[in-house]
Amino acid sequence: MIATFLRSTALGLTFAGAAWAADPSLDLVGPLSDYKIFVAENTAQLVTDTEALVAAIKAGDVEKAKSLFAPTRTSYERVEPIAELFSDLDVSIDARADDYEKAEKDEAFTGFHRIEYGLWEEKSTEGLDLYADKLLADVTDLDGRINALTFPPEVVVGGAAVLMEEVAATKISGEEDRYSRTDLWDFKANFEGSEKIYTLFRPLIEAGNADFVAKVDGNFKAVDEVLAKYRTPDGGFVSYDELTDSDRTMLSAKVNTLAEDLATLRGKLGLG
Amino acid sequence: MRPYPSRREVLLALGASTLALATHAQEPAPQVSDAPPANAGAAAQRVPFHGIHQAGITTPRPENGIVAAFDVVATSVDDLERMLRLLTDRARLLTQGGPVPDLDPSLPPADSGLLGPIVMPGNLTITVALGASLFENRPWLAGLKPATLQRMAQFPNDALEPGLCHGDLSIQFCANVQDTNLHALRDIVKTCAEFLVLRWMVEGNVPPVIPDAGGATPSARNFLGFRDGSANPDSNDAALMDRVVWTAGPHEPDWAQGGSYQVVRIIRNMVERWDRAPLAEQERIFGRTKMTGAPLDQPGATEHHAPDFTADPEGRVTSHDAHIRLANPRDARSQRNLMLRRPFNYSRGVLKNGQLDQGLLFICYQADLEAGFVAVQNRLNGEPLEEYVKPVGGGYFFALPGVRDDADYLGRALVDAARRT
Ligand code: HEM
Repeated sequence: MIATFLRSTALGLTFAGAAWAADPSLDLVGPLSDYKIFVAENTAQLVTDTEALVAAIKAGDVEKAKSLFAPTRTSYERVEPIAELFSDLDVSIDARADDYEKAEKDEAFTGFHRIEYGLWEEKSTEGLDLYADKLLADVTDLDGRINALTFPPEVVVGGAAVLMEEVAATKISGEEDRYSRTDLWDFKANFEGSEKIYTLFRPLIEAGNADFVAKVDGNFKAVDEVLAKYRTPDGGFVSYDELTDSDRTMLSAKVNTLAEDLATLRGKLGLG
Repeated sequence: MRPYPSRREVLLALGASTLALATHAQEPAPQVSDAPPANAGAAAQRVPFHGIHQAGITTPRPENGIVAAFDVVATSVDDLERMLRLLTDRARLLTQGGPVPDLDPSLPPADSGLLGPIVMPGNLTITVALGASLFENRPWLAGLKPATLQRMAQFPNDALEPGLCHGDLSIQFCANVQDTNLHALRDIVKTCAEFLVLRWMVEGNVPPVIPDAGGATPSARNFLGFRDGSANPDSNDAALMDRVVWTAGPHEPDWAQGGSYQVVRIIRNMVERWDRAPLAEQERIFGRTKMTGAPLDQPGATEHHAPDFTADPEGRVTSHDAHIRLANPRDARSQRNLMLRRPFNYSRGVLKNGQLDQGLLFICYQADLEAGFVAVQNRLNGEPLEEYVKPVGGGYFFALPGVRDDADYLGRALVDAARRT
């Protein structure tokens, strides 16, 4: 009998986990509006910082522009799940050369990474004015659009895991900031963005999920500890090239585990 | 637990599709998008998980295999124990099969779904082995490394790619169909994310051969077109396996008795060039005929006929540098160097130079790494076959002793030993 077949295996007994029932009384409104403020602060900062970056480029000051590149990006990286909702802007602001068939030579290649390419590979601001103006216009547009946006709760909550997917897919391998090697800045910003979402919604799930909360808290803390080793005295980060294999492995495991766990956050909050 | 479900159970488990097969004559002609009909018996085939040795070493090699190597994140004995228990649970479930649990649909599903709602075992084995780096980077495991476990060396013909080498832990998956292996790999990547970070993985297969009237099949062919496995020691001879494959004796740590040294080598074959080499040269290189696999001194015999090198001291028939003569000179001393080979062929697209990226996912098991693989590879160094092959990756690992029963787990004796020291 099929029943015998199933019973004769261990799978039926040990696989099962209880499904969490959504609690309709959970109040998402508070954390959602707090998150909206967080995003608005970041996009406003992004505009301010981009203005300074653009000014340095136009002044032909390569060193200054280089020093502003990584910190400017962090406000974008922190709110990427929301910024990505506007895919036209995400592409023109943050696409990488390998998103294009002709790579760096592709005319459609614009945004942060085109500027990064110019500053680090071509070691010059020449020809970057165009991209600088476009970047500023794009981030200003983004700021305006985000302020007018009603945040879909499942996107906000899902964003915690999306940021971990970002790290797992492009940051951990050092592909994101390949010319400047400033990946650890992005890394940190992605984690901050994810942790922000998680922390805002944690009070709503804490009660029934003590193990889960302890595990996620522990993993965020472990990531902080690893990244702290790579801090520079001025609050920045050393080059991605200095990340040791064993720390990379540790970060990978934490990122993947956070991605797995945070992927259940929507379900835990009853957002299908 | 019975090793295999009864025929009736299998038919019922497979449900309608099996019935459709049984009454094939009345059915409409199959559509483009109908799944190719599976073999019900093959899907239900189940290799026992419990035993003194792990499965996947002396158990028959099925059609498909994967080797995946991982870096391990475990900073304490407790971590290691949790990881090994988790791996054991997953391996037990996956190899024995059963239904996938239903979760609340607002959560990610419990399983990738690749095999549908009921996971059929499909002859799956999951073999877990540890690399030297696991021991070296962890002071709390000091002194517990198996006697000859070491980091894979670079041999003269190797062109090792760092991204395809070594690892703290390897998992060999073998099953009738590759989807069963991939399903298991994805399950482990997902459920063990806390501990295991994937380093490299290679998929391979061996072509199935129609059995003869007696039910026996010859050795499968590798990508150079030769039968591979002819001279393997008899894996059904338990006493021989105790001598050749399984670790035993006071030179090994107590916890490491009944395991086996696993060598994985990713060996690229220059197939275009090989296909342009004269047949006689190809056969000279191996010391065997291409079509039947018979040794060159007995070309009319079967592949299982043992060559007699003593009758050919000058190497006129079987050259002294023929692969089989170097690998096993068949003298009294080389008896110590036996190994059990269990390879798969791999094909991974195109190389930068426009040539096919094909080769041998060489896997072998032995009771002593140095007397086995290392000694044999050192004899093979410089062999004429090297013009056509290039090892690019792999690693040395120690396959853990078996899991005895439901209360046991992979590497329990190692964890216990680490706690004592
Ligand atoms: C791409 C690489 C290789 C190919 C294509 C290859 C192919 C073959 C073939 C066709 C045979 C004869 C049939 C048989 O007994 O299986 C053979 C035998 C053998 N090979 Fe390899 N082989 C390769 C690499 C290796 C390596 C790396 C080792 C170990 C260091 C090895 C060890 C052996 C042994 C021990 C035998 C049996 C010799 C005997 O007892 O007669 N082979 N191999």
